[in-house]
Amino acid sequence: MEKSSAGRTLVDARDKSCPGPITDLALAYRRSKIGDVIELWATDPGVRSDVRAWAAKTGNELASMEEKNGAIVSVLRILRR
Amino acid sequence: MAGKFSVIMFSGTADKFIPLGVLTQAAAAMGMEVSVFVTGFALGAFAKKRREAPFPAEFAGMAAALEKGLKAAKAPPWDEMLRQAKDLGAKVYACSMMSEVMGLKKGDFGDLIDDIVGAATFLEQSENGQTIFI
Repeated sequence: MEKSSAGRTLVDARDKSCPGPITDLALAYRRSKIGDVIELWATDPGVRSDVRAWAAKTGNELASMEEKNGAIVSVLRILRR
Repeated sequence: MAGKFSVIMFSGTADKFIPLGVLTQAAAAMGMEVSVFVTGFALGAFAKKRREAPFPAEFAGMAAALEKGLKAAKAPPWDEMLRQAKDLGAKVYACSMMSEVMGLKKGDFGDLIDDIVGAATFLEQSENGQTIFI
């Protein structure tokens, strides 16, 4: 599930197993522009290291990662397309 | 492209198709150039007249628990994961030699197979990347 407004996209990948969350992130990334922000909500514990690996591999910035309401919320800033 | 990830998919048992789906989808999501070379016993699962992959005899006792666990984890079936990888750019090739041996022509394969190629094509394509054999 994905919701977008003014350069910020909310991706809800809760309850999806690996590699579902990282795939949803990649799909949102495809539609993003430089400077956009993607907020990824996931519950698969693998997402903690996967989002870091994804950001390093694609050259984008992981601005923050925190736990909220039992989910892992990652905020990514798109620097490269 | 952020590197290459290539898979030689040889095995024909159900357990081996799970990492095929997971790893190709993950690599495609990472922006990697993904290619799969399907050969040997794995080919039948890609035919239109699909041969459902059986669980290997030594793990048959664990099959039911694994299926239940996959369902509980809401893990999609391997072909859906591979299709997602293809939507992100992955390519899937059937080995020409083994296709011939098994009597499979281009039209006998489902839409997961992009083309029938020889081993040299795959080797050239996967050069200087990560390649795994499943």
